[in-house]
Amino acid sequence: MDRNQLKKWFKSPAKMGHKYSLHAIYFCTGCGIIEVPPSITARWDAERFGVIPVATPRQANLFLITGYVSTKTLKAIIRTYEQMPEPKFTVGFGSCPINGGMYWDSYNTIKKLDKYIPIDGWIAGCMPRPEAIFVAVTHLWTLIDKDMANGYKKYREKYKYYRANQEKIFGTLDWPPLFS
Amino acid sequence: MEELKNNIKSSFDKVKITITDNIMIINIDKNGIVTILSFLKNIGYKHLALISCVDLIKDNKLEIIYIVSAYMDNDHEFKEKEKRNIIIKTRIPRDKPNFMTVMDIFENAEPYERELHELFGIYFQGHPRLTPLFLELEYEVPPFRKDFDTRKFVKDFYEDIPAVE
Amino acid sequence: MRELELYFGPQHLGMVGNFSITLNVEGDRIKKADANPGYLHRGFEKLMECRTWMQNFPLVCRINVVEPDHIELIYSMGVEKLAGIEVPERGKFIRSIYCELARVASHLFGLWAYANMLGFDTVAQWAMYHRDLILDLFEELTGARVYHIYIRPGGVRRDFPQGFEDKIINTLHSIGGKVPDYNATFFENRLFEKRAKGVGTLTRENAVKWGAVGHAMRATGMEYDIRKIEPYAAYDQVEWKVHTRNDGDAYSRLLAIRDEMIESVHMIFNLIDNMPKKGKVFAKTPNPFQWKIPAGEAYVRCESSRGELGLYIVSDGGDKPYRVHFRTPSYSHGLTILEKVLVGESIADVGNIMISLYVVAPEIDR
Repeated sequence: MDRNQLKKWFKSPAKMGHKYSLHAIYFCTGCGIIEVPPSITARWDAERFGVIPVATPRQANLFLITGYVSTKTLKAIIRTYEQMPEPKFTVGFGSCPINGGMYWDSYNTIKKLDKYIPIDGWIAGCMPRPEAIFVAVTHLWTLIDKDMANGYKKYREKYKYYRANQEKIFGTLDWPPLFS
Repeated sequence: MEELKNNIKSSFDKVKITITDNIMIINIDKNGIVTILSFLKNIGYKHLALISCVDLIKDNKLEIIYIVSAYMDNDHEFKEKEKRNIIIKTRIPRDKPNFMTVMDIFENAEPYERELHELFGIYFQGHPRLTPLFLELEYEVPPFRKDFDTRKFVKDFYEDIPAVE
Repeated sequence: MRELELYFGPQHLGMVGNFSITLNVEGDRIKKADANPGYLHRGFEKLMECRTWMQNFPLVCRINVVEPDHIELIYSMGVEKLAGIEVPERGKFIRSIYCELARVASHLFGLWAYANMLGFDTVAQWAMYHRDLILDLFEELTGARVYHIYIRPGGVRRDFPQGFEDKIINTLHSIGGKVPDYNATFFENRLFEKRAKGVGTLTRENAVKWGAVGHAMRATGMEYDIRKIEPYAAYDQVEWKVHTRNDGDAYSRLLAIRDEMIESVHMIFNLIDNMPKKGKVFAKTPNPFQWKIPAGEAYVRCESSRGELGLYIVSDGGDKPYRVHFRTPSYSHGLTILEKVLVGESIADVGNIMISLYVVAPEIDR
């Protein structure tokens, strides 16, 4: 560790804890799940960056949405995202959450995921390589240092707009609003 | 293949059979589906591979297609019968698509019929569980019919939703 | 004891892929299981009617994400049958080598999932590493690790680069040299035997009634393999055997998969020896912007790593398909057989049975 790192640690130990132990939740949302097992096994080890998969949303703080999102999956994603404790970060993996991707004219996929839950960063590609996950994680560290990874704060402040968008797709929702 | 064709022609009326390569295509009236499928199953064609549907919008009909083939009788060598696929086709009117189920003959027809009910709007009488299989939202026109324009639906439904700044 | 309803839902550590099962349990035993697909439905068959015949190739390979190569092959075979195109000899051999490499890679992915489910982490790490070595070969040949788009109607896109056959042989030797270690650690381990013997049994009578195909049928004793019954590509020009087992439970299915992998490796060596050394690899097709295929219908089938994969294709003489319907092997395994075989098993074995039947969720929903 050099002097810069030690200075950063003394200034804010909480940020150091957020950055170097991102626990990713194990949810295989779409196509992109094919490049996640190579990145968590021995050849491209993700644990040296502090990222390991965990079982439940109550123990996680990174949500990697791999691939396209269909309408049935969006319900499961919103429920999982709302159960994660704060501070939490989301990363969209692949070209499909950005603007619809290859399925831009399908009646069952969500075109822009940004309208329904907040996203901190995107990874482009179809499929991105496992090294792209690590580039995204290091970029997320610099955003956390500068206090720019604020998806969860935006969700808290603008909750009624997000909830109105979610209700336009599904009609009435089964669960009560998270923030009143 | 020719003797099977003559066999079927003598047992059923109102059939039309064509043979190309390994495939025999049988066109039959909609009331004869259950009898011809149980006839073929008794001869040995026990594997139901697919139940599908084609929307013929110009003739105002829906065409339902059954594809059967045979498993091996002897475990170690196969006979000529196992190389064949038999396609059975029938037509029902597009405005009142009611049909009967074939679950009494082939037990694995259940999810195929559920999918056709949801995506084309065909009602199968006698099916125990015709609940939605894949779709979450409800559509006025069943999505796989030819008069459902998917690009127009995407433009009207998804692009109106405002982004959150 | 009272009955509970549990959701073995999409976000679960024991589930590979986005699929959900609703279980009615009493204590630890399952009374009823309801499969709940649809989390990955994109409406492929409707999207394919809006794009021309050649534009559909990048779309079609994304139906099954673990093994996209056999679906490119089956769509190509359907288009060739409707249009009347013949593949040259060297193209047929290259197609067979490519599909057998894809079969080995897909079985290694399934082995990773199964070994993780039972707790054998060492074997899971080895399997994923060896699969990455095969994906490096694909990357040199086609340019991408996962979605290759290599097969086109009339043959393949380009020929092998210089020295590629030696690279295939070296990679397969280094994977094959580890097979005694795999056997000693996993396949002959008595813990695996205790966990998998007698679990998820499928008798021959039930397999015929419920429409089982692929290795689930071969584990009951029948040598049912589409590569022998209706040979396509170059499978009738090399010598190979179909391996079967007799019991029909999860243990027999995994051993049938292992024997099939070793047979595929020997088949690739034979194909490389018998391949013609020079020749064209694709036949000429018309201008893809204006290609109209004559009206007709066809049903073609091939053997993917899960079972019988079929395609029913209808053309009305235009430049776009009129109706396309894929018959995928995970459809009957995941929706009919899984619900019936899970009755009476314990909750800890749900993932065990699901992966030994090789159910992959994107194939069911398309």
